[in-house]
Amino acid sequence: MSAVAQGEPRLAHERSERWVPALTTVCALLLVAVAAEIVIDAAAGPSPVVPKSPELVGWLGGVGERLGYRGFLVALLVSSGAYGGLAVLSRRFRVRAISRRWAIALVAVLQLIVFAGPVLLSTDVFSYVAYARMGLEYGLNPYTHGPVAIVHDSIYQYVGHDWDRVATAYGPLYTLLSYPLAPLGVVGALWAMKLEALLASAGTLALTWRCARMRGFDPVAAILVVGANPLYFIYGLGGAHNDLIMMLAMMAAVSLTIAAGAPKPSARREAGAAASVVAGALIKATVAVLLPFMIVSKRRLAPIVGTVAALALGALVGYAVFGIHGINVVAALNRDAAFVSTDSFANEIAHLLGKPGVFPIDHDLLKAALVLIVLHLLWRTWRGYDWVAASGWALLAISVTSTWLLAWYILWPLPLAVVTRDRRLLAATLAIQALFIVHQISPLLAPVQ
Amino acid sequence: MTEVSLPVEERRWERLPPWLRPRMSEQPGSGRLWRIETTLLVIVGLFLAVAIVNDLAREVRINHRLVADLTTWRHYTQHDYVNISIDQETLGANSDREVLCGNTSAGPPGSKTQICLAVWGPIVAGRRAVHGGWYLPPYYEDVRSERYGCFGAVRGLCPR
Repeated sequence: MSAVAQGEPRLAHERSERWVPALTTVCALLLVAVAAEIVIDAAAGPSPVVPKSPELVGWLGGVGERLGYRGFLVALLVSSGAYGGLAVLSRRFRVRAISRRWAIALVAVLQLIVFAGPVLLSTDVFSYVAYARMGLEYGLNPYTHGPVAIVHDSIYQYVGHDWDRVATAYGPLYTLLSYPLAPLGVVGALWAMKLEALLASAGTLALTWRCARMRGFDPVAAILVVGANPLYFIYGLGGAHNDLIMMLAMMAAVSLTIAAGAPKPSARREAGAAASVVAGALIKATVAVLLPFMIVSKRRLAPIVGTVAALALGALVGYAVFGIHGINVVAALNRDAAFVSTDSFANEIAHLLGKPGVFPIDHDLLKAALVLIVLHLLWRTWRGYDWVAASGWALLAISVTSTWLLAWYILWPLPLAVVTRDRRLLAATLAIQALFIVHQISPLLAPVQ
Repeated sequence: MTEVSLPVEERRWERLPPWLRPRMSEQPGSGRLWRIETTLLVIVGLFLAVAIVNDLAREVRINHRLVADLTTWRHYTQHDYVNISIDQETLGANSDREVLCGNTSAGPPGSKTQICLAVWGPIVAGRRAVHGGWYLPPYYEDVRSERYGCFGAVRGLCPR
């Protein structure tokens, strides 16, 4: 090949790189504009995207127009496209598509816009407040009663109809964290929950940055892929989900583990990492799946000691405050595993196979598939595969095999995927998110009026 | 290919056969496993994509049918009401047969005597055939014990 022929692709690449800053700016502006439009329009009046809620953002009321579900879907598709463009540009080109300062500013603006708006797309946060008020204001155990037990409390009318008889499925640490918010009143507690989610999101992003840098990845691309993800800031933060707090504990564990390995192993940090995973599991049990991978990878006593100590402390406090029901995680997981959501892949596969929905035998088959996947990943970790990537795969497998799939569940593996060398994990996570979004768009193709 | 040497504290695993010993990092040359995993992932991904597209097409078909059902209810009752409930289970889930209930006179949803229509069959000129129905008292859910005045092919669904 001649020197001229070799030079042509390089020239073309350099020429295309000239467009990178402009394209990046367009994508970033689109993301901000769409987030702002969703929030302003959602605050304008009754909307299928906004659950029935007490007055939270009255000052935004007269600005936008009522947000219909189709309008929301268009906004979601536009922001997903802009996010995809931004993710590709930030990872693909040698030229820095976006500076550190601008990346942090973009992610911060997106989070703050959603924080300033109404609760989006879920009634879960009202259940969180209801459980807190049950415990603190009425002396009821949220692990043995559903919100219907406080039917006369002002929060009850906002709790999702499907959940009003359901006791809390969250860990005792989360329930205890929510108790101090109960005396703030319904509106005050909701804002406090939103603030808690915002801080957890900021912490998760900061730790993602740290982990990416310690592992030799571009931290700018890492926080853009997580923080500018529409499912992350619209569904996760918009709904003030406690999954963000769980993810904060998860990334704290990963950060401690990476720091523990350099320059020489630190038992204290490894024990702390394991304790952090246990703390996350006492928020929401799912993150406990990281523990076996961490232990198998390290093959040292410290993570086991950290796990046992944190578990013993958590169980003791949980039992002392909530009794045996507060620490019976298995019962809560079994109960939730029986639910079926229309967006779950299991339900869609059942329809593909001509069945009306998921049958009990399907739950067993899915659990068996999940066990096989986790065993394979444990074997791979034992033989040197990155435990962080294995944990990410396990979290992704949990969400894909779950019959109760919600948008914020497919966020779990995302921060892990951007700090691992196995690029397949990020590709698979984003592909699953894309499929989830595609499944939402039927009202765009055939509206019901 | 050579084994990655283990640190001193890992020597206890040397009793295990080589293929069972833990490693600090992956052995170079594990490309075959990587290819198998990637192939499986692609197959699973394609299967999920097909399932999603199939479900999307199914939902679109249902939405088209529901639009025809709503038009049918409004045409049959001569009321241009918006709040009409649609039940896809009473006449059999996955049966394409629906029950649509709405007020017989203007008012908040369910606040007046409601007329429920049993609708099924192909969409013709934007509507489907009404095969019968029943009435419900104000503020009552559509349960068998509350139905009255059943007519058409669904007479057997009333208690009296």
